[in-house]
Amino acid sequence: MRSGMASLLALPWAKSLSAAAAPATAPHLNLSRGARGLPQDDEIVLGVSAAFSGPSRGLGTELYRGAMAYFNQVNENGGVNGRRIVMKLLDDGYQPDPCVANTIELIQDESVFLLFNYVGTPTVTRALPVLKKFRDQQVYLFFPFTGAEPQREPPYGEFAFNLRASYRQETAGLVDNFVALGRRRVAVFYQNDAYGRSGWAGVREALARHGETIAGEATYMRGTQFGASMRGQVEILQARAPDAVICIGAYQACAAFARDAEDLGLHIPVANVSFVGSENLLALMREGRADADSHTRFLVNSQVVPSYEDTSLPAVREYHELMERYNPPLPSSEDVDRIAEGEPYEPFAQSFVSLEGFVNAKLITEIIRRMGDDPQRSGIEDAVFAVRNYDLGVGERVRFGPDRRQGLQQVYYTVPEGDRFVPLDDWEARFGLP
Amino acid sequence: MTRSRRHGREALLVRKLFRKTRFGFFALFAAVVLSISILSITSVSRELRDEYIINSESIAKNIADSSVDILLNRNLATLQSLIDQFVQIQSIRYIYITSDTGEFLAHTFIPGIPEEILASDHTATEPVDRSLPGLGDFIEVGSPILSGVAGTVHVGMDLELLGLKTQRAVGQQIYLLCIILVTGVLASIWLVNLASRPLAALLEFVVRLARERDEDRVAHDDLLVRDDEIGDMARLMQHVADGRAREGGVRTGKGR
Repeated sequence: MRSGMASLLALPWAKSLSAAAAPATAPHLNLSRGARGLPQDDEIVLGVSAAFSGPSRGLGTELYRGAMAYFNQVNENGGVNGRRIVMKLLDDGYQPDPCVANTIELIQDESVFLLFNYVGTPTVTRALPVLKKFRDQQVYLFFPFTGAEPQREPPYGEFAFNLRASYRQETAGLVDNFVALGRRRVAVFYQNDAYGRSGWAGVREALARHGETIAGEATYMRGTQFGASMRGQVEILQARAPDAVICIGAYQACAAFARDAEDLGLHIPVANVSFVGSENLLALMREGRADADSHTRFLVNSQVVPSYEDTSLPAVREYHELMERYNPPLPSSEDVDRIAEGEPYEPFAQSFVSLEGFVNAKLITEIIRRMGDDPQRSGIEDAVFAVRNYDLGVGERVRFGPDRRQGLQQVYYTVPEGDRFVPLDDWEARFGLP
Repeated sequence: MTRSRRHGREALLVRKLFRKTRFGFFALFAAVVLSISILSITSVSRELRDEYIINSESIAKNIADSSVDILLNRNLATLQSLIDQFVQIQSIRYIYITSDTGEFLAHTFIPGIPEEILASDHTATEPVDRSLPGLGDFIEVGSPILSGVAGTVHVGMDLELLGLKTQRAVGQQIYLLCIILVTGVLASIWLVNLASRPLAALLEFVVRLARERDEDRVAHDDLLVRDDEIGDMARLMQHVADGRAREGGVRTGKGR
């Protein structure tokens, strides 16, 4: 699908993008007329602040598209208890301050029913105190696209509900597998912010359980592009002679690091966590390279949703069907002309990120459905806690409770095969020591 | 020699008397500007540096106070988020937090922690000057977290920025002093000229008195009517000249 950023908001964060889930014939309904206030008679508004512009725009875009595929179908079938589900989108460019401003706007000005599908740790970490400030309004953040701890622990854990596994679980899984292969010297390449630190802490904790410490570490600045050189970072890690590197970053920088690591002879497994945006990373690394397969042979990515290739799972089949049926276009805005140039983005037919957006939408729809004909914010928490053994169709049942604010626990591991990431079945065969 | 050329030559002779005065003025002003500049550079530099240290100490203490619960909750992402906000302050170039065992729990270094920092005393809190290859020169201060049992916060302030601030502050002062110097020199030249002009006229008057014959004598009303010392001297000279002329006349009469 070829589509430009023409339909994607990339204006300053304060500028809102109104888009909504709506019937397929008009998928981008501008909500400026009716999105305000608590549930209207005919719609429920979910507030979204995410990266729709900048180097991480692929994440916000794919997450949105996956959610849209599901909401389109829900709305086409009459909505939830007669109400359509719509999203009020604001762009934060994956930057903390705009995310804070957006969150305040969504709560105060837009009075959204709940917050949904936020993208990123540095953004969410800063938005959480806003939720605490407005705690009397009982605004909850649902299913942020981050596995960091701040929204899972006191003092802000009570304001958020997570669906995906945490970075702690992802990094622990990666470390355990590397250590099992004898690769005990694990280094970390990370984005030097709350997200990177969260993953770094996960690696450190997991290594400590094996009696090891981080073998070496290198950092990069948030927003670094694929064109940047990572020679300095690669050389820092090379000097520590690691057996494997775990990257905690976004796709542009992590692709640049993996490229330079390969080019500079650091031939060891390079792992990424789910936030990286696997398809975006792979597309960057393969672009224009005749040796793309060998160039990406050391990559291994952890995921928090099953492979979108695994059509034995009902949710994955549904995802394929709805993504194909609606093929959700990029978010649009009235100011489309102002953002069209310089930021082209070509979405993926399927991706782990859009699948995550899809299952997030599926579960939030179920929670709203359980709230009955007159959903109120005061009833949100009880409705979530009532989800105790729900089959989302991903092979793992979802369970929430007062002491369990994360629905899924499973972590999956994937490796590149051509232009896709496929499940990794045999660690020893792929990454065993010679 | 024409009358005007003689006048110019005499005025020049008088101004020579003030050349040293003008030089003296200039030297004095220059000495004042130079000494004030040196004093200014040292005092501004010292004051800004002290202010820098005080600011960084208060920032380090602020972070240390804010970090206690975060550290005890092992919430390193929030800790990183906290220092990321502080490092946006212009003069702060880096922050790092070490545990009580010296482990780096959060930092702002890219692409990695410099070797000099890794090798430094992680419990030190006294201000220390650091020169980090590729990064620049810094003043680093520390602040203990929970009296040091939870770790230490270290804040690095940019010395290059401090130098620029010092240069700017001193530059402004020197600029002002230079304006005063130039104005003072120009004013002194004007004043000297003002004072030398009647003296030159007086000199010319005296020379003429000595040279001119009675019938050539011209009136010098502008000098003789002055009520200052120049006027007094002119009248005195005129009186002496008149006396000598009278004596000359009597002597001539007697001779006849």
